[in-house]
Amino acid sequence: MLTFTEELLLLLGDEEGLFLPVKEHAFECALAGAILMDLAFAFRIDTDLQALVVTDPVPTGNPMLDRVLEKISARTDVTDAPAWIRVLATEDAALIREQALDSLVDRRILKRQHNRFLGIFRSVSYPTLDEAPLQAVKSRIEDVVSDEIPDPRDVALISLVDACQILPDLFPEWEAKQTASRLELLRRMDLIGRELTGAISEIQDQIIRAARAQAARFKKSLLTLALVASAAVIATVLMPGIGVPDRYGPSLPAQLWFDGTWKQFSGYLLLALSVAGLMIAIALKKQLLAWISGSHRWRLSHLVLGIACVFVLFMHTGFRLGDNLNAALMATYLTVLLSGALTGVVVGGAPHFRQISLSRVFAARRILIWVHALALCPLPALLIVHILSVYLY
Amino acid sequence: MQAVLGLTLLGAAYVVVTMTVAGDRRMLLSGETTHAHHQLEMACETCHGRSVFADAKAAQKALNKNCRKCHEDELKAAKDSHSRKRFRNPRMAEYWDKLDARQCTPCHIEHRPEITRESAVTVAMDFCVACHSQGEQDIRTTRASHAGLGFETCATAGCHNFHDNRALFEDFLLGHAGQPEPTRPAVHGLTARYRARPVSTDKALQPGDAVAPPDALAEPGALQHWAGSGHARAGVNCTACHAADAAKDAPSSQALAHWIDAPPMRVCMECHKPQAKTFVLGRHGMRQHPGIAKPRDLPGWMGRWLGDPGLPVRMTVGEARLPMRADAHPAMAVDCASCHTEHALDTAHAALEACASCHDDAHTRSYFDSPHHVLWQREQAGEAPPGSSVSCASCHMPKLEHRKKVRTTHNQNDNLRPNEKMIRSVCLDCHSLGFSLEALADPKLIRNNFTGPPGVRVHSIDWAIARSRNPEAPED
Repeated sequence: MLTFTEELLLLLGDEEGLFLPVKEHAFECALAGAILMDLAFAFRIDTDLQALVVTDPVPTGNPMLDRVLEKISARTDVTDAPAWIRVLATEDAALIREQALDSLVDRRILKRQHNRFLGIFRSVSYPTLDEAPLQAVKSRIEDVVSDEIPDPRDVALISLVDACQILPDLFPEWEAKQTASRLELLRRMDLIGRELTGAISEIQDQIIRAARAQAARFKKSLLTLALVASAAVIATVLMPGIGVPDRYGPSLPAQLWFDGTWKQFSGYLLLALSVAGLMIAIALKKQLLAWISGSHRWRLSHLVLGIACVFVLFMHTGFRLGDNLNAALMATYLTVLLSGALTGVVVGGAPHFRQISLSRVFAARRILIWVHALALCPLPALLIVHILSVYLY
Repeated sequence: MQAVLGLTLLGAAYVVVTMTVAGDRRMLLSGETTHAHHQLEMACETCHGRSVFADAKAAQKALNKNCRKCHEDELKAAKDSHSRKRFRNPRMAEYWDKLDARQCTPCHIEHRPEITRESAVTVAMDFCVACHSQGEQDIRTTRASHAGLGFETCATAGCHNFHDNRALFEDFLLGHAGQPEPTRPAVHGLTARYRARPVSTDKALQPGDAVAPPDALAEPGALQHWAGSGHARAGVNCTACHAADAAKDAPSSQALAHWIDAPPMRVCMECHKPQAKTFVLGRHGMRQHPGIAKPRDLPGWMGRWLGDPGLPVRMTVGEARLPMRADAHPAMAVDCASCHTEHALDTAHAALEACASCHDDAHTRSYFDSPHHVLWQREQAGEAPPGSSVSCASCHMPKLEHRKKVRTTHNQNDNLRPNEKMIRSVCLDCHSLGFSLEALADPKLIRNNFTGPPGVRVHSIDWAIARSRNPEAPED
């Protein structure tokens, strides 16, 4: 039989073997809750509103559960369920996840797959080998929600999944209003589930409040940077080319815009910044690096790189838009920069657009990101041609 | 998204192939080409050579070598004041970093319209400051008269040119100092000699001698025009041009088998070699210059699908960068017959009306109200001696003497820029040096085609006289 932790991971797995976009803190709390539920159903712990106590310290035979049971038995400073969820989510979530995944791989339910993106970024995914266990878990949830008499274990699982707020992703066909009352009823039926999911929700609320404050700061910075980037790109399009002094002798503008060595320097700097920006975007999108994924700082870095690109583009061209293929390259590059900057304005400015519905803001964001990605496609080809033509002629 | 990516990669592959193998490369032009070279845009290797991924130094070397291929003779003839030969001398090494006169590209770079000035110069016009503002070359200390002058005036005030100073050097100025304006009617010596040359009529043909198909003979005016032309006087029959591919001594019936209605320009060029040689040096005929790179060849079907677009043999009115008349058809190509009427071969028409039938700038339009045009009308009416008139060709396609033979140069750009190049070959026939210098330094006077006195004062001769009298004293 699968543990709650394993069942939860199975439910969170998506078709690519990555994981559903559950907020990291919710995921960790859910894992902590799942392992406490496993211990409760193994009759090793009990919990009520005030305390979580070890009722039977005898090992279960499952190394993952026994390690946590030992920890709970040993520590006396942590008493209630919310406190244990915080401790386990902070200290043990990563290990719990790894052990549960190892167990699923050992049972040949999942497959561990090592990937490399562009030959640089390594990532691990877990595609499903055996669909049957997942389908069994899903059908148990469906049965319980559709008025079947619930098994306590199923009720606990539902409470856990609901705490992760992934039911709409797992069962998109369910009507939210119809299922809400049934889920509420089920939650009340199960004491351990109620206690733990209540604790999870409480912790999540605290985290969400902190996250919202952080998000507000992020959006403010995002909006400021995006407005700067948009203004810089629009200026690049509208400003006339800056002339060079009509005097013989060295001059910085003449060197910047007409000297081959300086042009190479600014050109390759521009290329390096663009590639760095692209790499960050890919790493964020594909969740290639754990330390990048979900970090506001890296999203802002992407935008800062965009602004740096506009500045270096000015060093490279002096607001000259070029001719023929160079003009096409410039148009494409400016489209990438402007659509990216405007996306930042839309996302960062969303709290300020109260008269516009959220769905419209999301639609605008989707279109801008689509334009951003579409304009990016011809860019490498045009860049190659541009660089080759400079060296060939 | 994948489709867009795929399409752009295909596009990039195509462009890379056009760059390295064959195909139309005009899309790669990084900026508008200068007036001199825009006709050659399709033949990149004319200037750039074929050195793929050569290092910058080698690429510059190849580029400069190709400049010299077309322009070296012209510079030699101009007795180049800053010749490559002079500056290659190691004793001139200290100047190489200032303005490297061993190469063309430090001052003339293509595809940079924003910084391209008169005569395709791409450095600021005070470039003389690079070498003539320090040490023994400091012109402000060696010539007191130059002390207060800005370096931007050296090459723009009618006093100096970088390359061609044949009419501006000090001894020449002194030699022509104090010369009065010639008495009228003045005559172009070479033109007068050319027009007075004896013309043999030994081989002259009559209208009845014409060998041509009946429908060609029936063409209105053709026979009469030919009969009155230099061709008929010199015994050149219709078949000489219209059946040029036939054997020289072939009987008429055989020659007519080779008849073509519109003979190509090469037929004219076969007999008029000196004219053809200079025609390809000017902008009218430069597309036939032997130095122009041939299209890159590809075998068989590849050549058909991916060949270099061939350079059109002739320039058209539509491609001109100068103002052209609205009634001049843009597709009209410049060849011999464009100026010399097809059968009459009227040189008077070619010298004036042919030019004005296309060119529509202020200088051309003003000609018809100028004193030069009055002289033209008088000579045409027989009221003035041969060679006393001034047409477009008198100044822009002057008569030149080579091995005691007087011929019309067909390189109409030869003495055009800088315009002081015109002084010795044209202006001095009828005007004093002082007047010529000042007239050519006055843009307003050039626009109105020299109607009125010059409004610009050029001090070159005065300063040369003062310096010759007392080299140590400051000139006035």
